[in-house]
Amino acid sequence: MTKSQKIDLIKIGVSAVLYVLGFVTGNFWVFMAAYAVAAYETIWEAIMGVIHLELLDENFLMTIASLGAIYCGEYPEAVAVMLFYQVGEFFENYAVNNSRKSIAGLMDIKAEFANRLVGGREEKVEPEELHLDDIILVRPGEKIPVDGIVTEGSSSLDTAALTGESIPRDVSEGEEIISGTINLTGLLKVRVTSVYEDSTVAKVLDLVENASSKKAAVEKFITKFAHYYTPIVVGCAVALAVIPTVILGWSAFSEWLYRAMIFLVISCPCALVISVPLSLFAGVGSASRQGILVKGSNYLEALSKVDTFAFDKTGTLTTGRFAVTKVSPAGSISEAELLEMTAVCESMSNHPIADSIAAYWLNTTGKAEEPGRVSDYEELSGRGISCLYKGRKVYLGNSRLMEQVGAKYKEADDIGSIVYAADENGYLGYIAVADQIRDNSQSTLAELKALGVKREVMLTGDRKEIAEVVAGEIGVTDVLSELLPGQKVEALEKLLADEADSKGRLVFVGDGINDAPVLARADVGIAMGAFGSDAAVEAADVVIMTDDISKLSAVMRIARKTMAICRENVVFALGIKFAILILGAIGLANMWEAVFADVGVAIIAILNSMRALKL
Amino acid sequence: MKKTYKLENLDCANCAAKMERAIGKIDGVSDCNISFMTQKMSIDAADEKFEDILASAQKAISRVDRECKIIK
Repeated sequence: MTKSQKIDLIKIGVSAVLYVLGFVTGNFWVFMAAYAVAAYETIWEAIMGVIHLELLDENFLMTIASLGAIYCGEYPEAVAVMLFYQVGEFFENYAVNNSRKSIAGLMDIKAEFANRLVGGREEKVEPEELHLDDIILVRPGEKIPVDGIVTEGSSSLDTAALTGESIPRDVSEGEEIISGTINLTGLLKVRVTSVYEDSTVAKVLDLVENASSKKAAVEKFITKFAHYYTPIVVGCAVALAVIPTVILGWSAFSEWLYRAMIFLVISCPCALVISVPLSLFAGVGSASRQGILVKGSNYLEALSKVDTFAFDKTGTLTTGRFAVTKVSPAGSISEAELLEMTAVCESMSNHPIADSIAAYWLNTTGKAEEPGRVSDYEELSGRGISCLYKGRKVYLGNSRLMEQVGAKYKEADDIGSIVYAADENGYLGYIAVADQIRDNSQSTLAELKALGVKREVMLTGDRKEIAEVVAGEIGVTDVLSELLPGQKVEALEKLLADEADSKGRLVFVGDGINDAPVLARADVGIAMGAFGSDAAVEAADVVIMTDDISKLSAVMRIARKTMAICRENVVFALGIKFAILILGAIGLANMWEAVFADVGVAIIAILNSMRALKL
Repeated sequence: MKKTYKLENLDCANCAAKMERAIGKIDGVSDCNISFMTQKMSIDAADEKFEDILASAQKAISRVDRECKIIK
């Protein structure tokens, strides 16, 4: 609690005690003392407001309302208006500050200092003062201040604040480390590769802090609403005080003035103006705690209305890493021989499939290719390779190549890419290589459907048959296959056109590396596995730091709940306010109910907003 | 040029909205955003008059809340 908050609290206490005393003694002056304690600051601000011609200022309106109640002889109610107004202000201030702090706490990823090594000595500097290629020391328990490369030492890093992942990441010499993570075990010497402004930590903080500048429609509505609400309600109050008096004569003035004062008390839209942005801010904070950066509350709003998900296949639904799934020899060759032959020959090529076979061979046997065993290497474009291996002419490639060399191959029906092998004497078998489907792709897609997503579309450059098998396994509803990179944007535009007449939004999920135009074109572009990748962070609207696809359903759930909380607050606050306004106009509501509609509603709405922090 | 400043003693959400509107109307300001949550103002305005605009912005802010200051 700050000093000014303490003073406010004391004032409220003193005024409340006097107020109770007023009821006990029934003394007018005791009420007035309670009023003075609660109101003097507000009245002073009101006078200053009038001088600056700010007539719709809250302080001014509350002052008029309470003075009006005094004029009507309703002393306890006049005190109540001011006292509860102070209580409300105090509580709003306290709650908003607290939630601001707890959200800021979620994003407490910036290191306060860095230990720079200069000529063998250590000096403490601000992270902003570091230069490229400075050497810094990071001790266990300290945060990594800027991005860099480990030059000495090994340790494990706690990345939870950035990624939401609880398992520490091991790092050793030569590896890149990301700022904002916490060094857990060993002393690290790090060479700075990005200055603070360009480091991950600065970018992430910037993103989250600016998220509130991209406003959701509900926020814009509230701002607009607030702009007109106060003048209209105050106008009605003036009309309520003046018109009946003119018609019915002076004797009616006091009664109608009281009704007008009820309007003034309810004239502040504060409950809405605070609670809606607070909910959205808390929702964005909740998401970032789980390693999901949402770049604006408008995206949170759009996410709550998503009915179509488009996925890039490779790197999103699948891991993007090819792996050997089957080695199937034919004829006299053994499995090991076939693998060795293929791996050795393919190691000449730099095709990703060739790499994956060589990597698989290295992993399973511990052997790597020694140069010189292969000669006459030739790439046969669109078909495969041929070379001389152990004195034999070997052909490795697709079915077209097999047909061309006259090998009696059998069509393999495995998923993925097939590398057939043959030599001069005939067919030798095949190796199947496939991109691995992520473990939780299927369950995530099922969850999204349960959340009300109607279409799940997989975009891929793969052949139709392969794409459909993968699609069936994962459980998407639509497949768009054989797309060239440039055609993905067109495919997405077609999907958007299908969507044009529905209210649903379209999300595209990609790895953010080569699909920036598609990410930009979708209603919401989500980049996955963006930990440390600037391009992806830049291009996407929502960034999932790890490559955990289940975060998609997590962020959708957060979006839904956050928007539900906003709606509850809007409906609740407006409902109560309008109800009391109407009842007040026809003389059925009193000042107490008006105070509740103002302060009570604000407090309840704020408390409701805080729920978004715990999503 | 777009710059972001911290605001001191900004303690009412409705005031923030009022300030935002008032600053948005200042000549030369193309965009202004005040976030009550982060207590920050981002202002996008013409380079050559930036200092003057910032002074007018402070005036507009003071009109709504005398306590509130732009921290440069």
